[in-house]
Amino acid sequence: MARLGTHFQLLLVIAVALILPLVIRSGSLATEVLIYAIAVAGCNLLLGFTGLLSFGQGIFFGLGSYTAGILLTRLALPLPLALLAAVVVGALAATLVGWFAIRQRGTYFVMLTLAFAQMFYFLAYSLPTLTGGDNGLLDVPRPPIAVGGLELMALKTPWQFYTLVAVCFVIVFWLLLRVTRSVFGRTLLAIRDNEERAAAVGYNVRLFKLAAFAISGAVTGLAGAFLAIMTGIAPLSSIEYHTSEMILVMTVIGGTGNLFASVLGAAFYVLFSDWLSTLWPRWLLLLGMLLIAVSLFMQRGLWGLGERLWLAVRRKPPADDIDAPSATESRP
Amino acid sequence: MNVYLLQVVNGIGIGMLYFLLAVGLSIIFGLLRFVNFAHGAFYLLGAYFCFQAMQWGMNFWLALVVVPLLVAFCAWVVEKVLLRHVYAQAHEFHILVTVGLALVLQEGVILIWGPLGDNVATPEALQGVVMWGNFIYPKYRLFVIGFTAVFALALWWVLEGTRLGSAVRAGSESTEMVSLLGINVFRIFSLVFALGAGTAALAGVLAAPIRGVEPFMGIEALGIAFVIVVVGGMGSFAGALVGGLLIGIVQSVMSTLWPEGARLMIYVAMAAVLLLRPHGLLGRG
Amino acid sequence: MNRRNLLKMAALSAVPGSLWAARSALAQSDAIRFGCPVPMSGAFAANGKYADIGMKLAIQQYGTALGRPLAYTVLDTEGKPATAVRKVQEQSEQGTRFFAGGILSSESLAMGKEVEKGGGVFITTAGADEITGKDCNKAAFRWSVPTFGAIEQTVRPLIEAVPKAKRWYTITPQYVFGDGLLSAAKNIFAEKGLEHVGNSYHSLTEKEFSGYLTNALAAKPDALLILNFGSQSSDTLRQAVSFGMKQNVTILVAWASGLEQFEALGADLCADVYFGAQYWHGIDSPLNKDLVKRCQETLKVNPNYSLAGSYICTKIMLDAIIKSGSADPKAVVAAMEGMKYDGLTGAEEIRAGDHQVLKNYYLLKGKPKSKMKDKDDYADIVSSGQSFLPLAQTGCKL
Repeated sequence: MARLGTHFQLLLVIAVALILPLVIRSGSLATEVLIYAIAVAGCNLLLGFTGLLSFGQGIFFGLGSYTAGILLTRLALPLPLALLAAVVVGALAATLVGWFAIRQRGTYFVMLTLAFAQMFYFLAYSLPTLTGGDNGLLDVPRPPIAVGGLELMALKTPWQFYTLVAVCFVIVFWLLLRVTRSVFGRTLLAIRDNEERAAAVGYNVRLFKLAAFAISGAVTGLAGAFLAIMTGIAPLSSIEYHTSEMILVMTVIGGTGNLFASVLGAAFYVLFSDWLSTLWPRWLLLLGMLLIAVSLFMQRGLWGLGERLWLAVRRKPPADDIDAPSATESRP
Repeated sequence: MNVYLLQVVNGIGIGMLYFLLAVGLSIIFGLLRFVNFAHGAFYLLGAYFCFQAMQWGMNFWLALVVVPLLVAFCAWVVEKVLLRHVYAQAHEFHILVTVGLALVLQEGVILIWGPLGDNVATPEALQGVVMWGNFIYPKYRLFVIGFTAVFALALWWVLEGTRLGSAVRAGSESTEMVSLLGINVFRIFSLVFALGAGTAALAGVLAAPIRGVEPFMGIEALGIAFVIVVVGGMGSFAGALVGGLLIGIVQSVMSTLWPEGARLMIYVAMAAVLLLRPHGLLGRG
Repeated sequence: MNRRNLLKMAALSAVPGSLWAARSALAQSDAIRFGCPVPMSGAFAANGKYADIGMKLAIQQYGTALGRPLAYTVLDTEGKPATAVRKVQEQSEQGTRFFAGGILSSESLAMGKEVEKGGGVFITTAGADEITGKDCNKAAFRWSVPTFGAIEQTVRPLIEAVPKAKRWYTITPQYVFGDGLLSAAKNIFAEKGLEHVGNSYHSLTEKEFSGYLTNALAAKPDALLILNFGSQSSDTLRQAVSFGMKQNVTILVAWASGLEQFEALGADLCADVYFGAQYWHGIDSPLNKDLVKRCQETLKVNPNYSLAGSYICTKIMLDAIIKSGSADPKAVVAAMEGMKYDGLTGAEEIRAGDHQVLKNYYLLKGKPKSKMKDKDDYADIVSSGQSFLPLAQTGCKL
């Protein structure tokens, strides 16, 4: 039960993409859920599957936004090319950051990603001709998808754009699921559980970590590009520390055990904050409490909570979950 | 040339406060091996408790002693109630529980005192400036330098010269050894966490007359503390001092040399140190 | 702020039906819907809180327009432009057409464009020149005075009031808005033959100004012109006073927030310092006196800038709806262009060419505690007036 088959997760993902429009009235809100689901899956690849706690996801998210924004406004490239460019830039940036960051482990690694996040923020702030500085890159257009003058799909209304994002969301998830189930993915898990042993067995640990970073960056960059195109702006705040923090928070709340949990985490955070912020301005307080609760009692996140309820209902002992991060990492 | 001398002195003033902010974080990391993201929130609490105490009529000198102790006590409770249960989990949860705590504390402050900032009056005896020819400097900032220097000496003595300090330092090297020697390691963790929070709160109290109080001051403080700790060396007392002074002086001198780039330089410096000397200038693994 | 009254106010806000079809008593299908997109969490939460109250006050005062009930929602932008745009998109999808808010320039610029795309009306109090300049559009309006007027109406009168201030030092946030203020100031310096003895740029997150002030002191200025805003201007002022600069330097905070800033700083710090303000509760105009009275009665406080700004922005839209006889945004925009009305600062007019409200900007001078008549009497109005760039120079092509 705990080990979800690839097909089952894919079905769940498709189900989510189909159900959201029925449950959420606003196309933009639904699209934002999927955008962050993609980003969180990218973060989860690093955290849940490779054991790397990266505070730098905002870098790739922001760079994806800027790339798409610059290419669409300055060069009027077709949308698919802009998205592809965002993916590539995200992957490259992640490889760069990863190359430096993975020289360290544990907390030093976290600090390096933090340092890079701050640096990229200040770089973006200091290059206003490129990024629009504090104002952000405005007037990002949303051209229809066209091939050789023939318009394939208009993207004007929120639900039209949602359709595009939903399709990409399913495809990206499918690819990530394949990656995590592959030999590559298994190696990442081995590295997460015991890096020394993996190295001793002969794996080039650094290369695997770098590859994980690259994939994560690519996926996160795509999410950033989608957000820029949806809102028409590539803002400075996308590359800020706060974005990295929130993506991580969504990852942990959802659960690091499997990829679908990332969808849960993103959906929960986006919908929860959207709804609660109209009722109580101090909604971040509840979020903080939730984080504490998850760290103390619900390390498997919302997915784990759901699991426990399901098992309690079926009255079966919890199955052995090979994929779960080992709780034997105790320090002190 | 004169201006640069003034900037260096000013930099020392800023740097001493940065040291105070960073040393608690450094010590906590040294022993508990995780980064306390709630460190800025304890700084925030220190400043706000001081503000409230003074609203209730307490004078600044008393607040300087009482508030850090109060915050240290709160941190001690937090460690026992919350953090202790997280040690057994994967290390990302150590970090995330403090992220959650920081959010709770910050929003709690806004709930109680509102989102607008407020002012804390400089104590009477320290108002005004000191003038030495061209050199004009607020008396209060000189006091901060002096007070922090004395406190630093006291802290150093505790860490180097007492049994508790030895236990803390030994614990940073190996907790198993320390517990094998019969010392209650968990009690030391609580004490260290409280000490770290207490120094952050002390920094908050000292900063309040300079910066006022406002609910988001903790975020900026945390950012600076990270930079200092990384540059100076995680777990190193001397590193926090050197890092703090270095960053403070760089920031101050940059205000004349290249004002726009001051902030960027700080993070470039941090990244450079992390790449070339990953354990900081004076750190040891 | 009386909690009971605040809770009474809170009952007015409609729960947004983004999930399923949540209904509240006021979310009726024929209500005219307003949105208040302001930061309710994050660094500008204080401004957002009062802006929210301001809109509530106006909506409650009018109750209905054109025979239809009024409904409104607050949208927490968190100070982030992408969040702001997404929430405005969400509201537009649900039929909201009238938005008053946007505290930060970045979010206001982005929202203005989004509202235009969605076919609505947006009026903001943000400061960036581009909002009614090169980024102006048919849907966006602005109530506050941009950088040119802010400097003209503070620096010039100050030069008259303190003729011996010949050497000026400026402290400027490094981005488009700061540069706008700085270049306007430099023009006046050049025109009046004053010496601009130095400028310190700083980043938007800076809190430590002692280095810049040390630099300033070394240049021996007669006047210190502080061009940042919000908590940064409070920090700069507080630190400048601690360096003893009040003794022989005239200090001007060109873009102050008014009452909320005075409350945060305290009378001792503010005494004898000059402040530029978009609004002051002491303004002698019929509408302002009415607003002060309303605030005192329902909330037991004086209106601050965030509250007053949001109130008048909402009121402008409501009046335009009534005047045009229709809730169709195009008709409302047409009614707003060129609209003249009795505003908070006296007679105000919405310039059709760039959608900028022509209104006064005020030079205030802080007074010592001993001279304060009540707890909010922090400053006296020294001078006021209207200064705006001619349309041709704004860069706006509507």
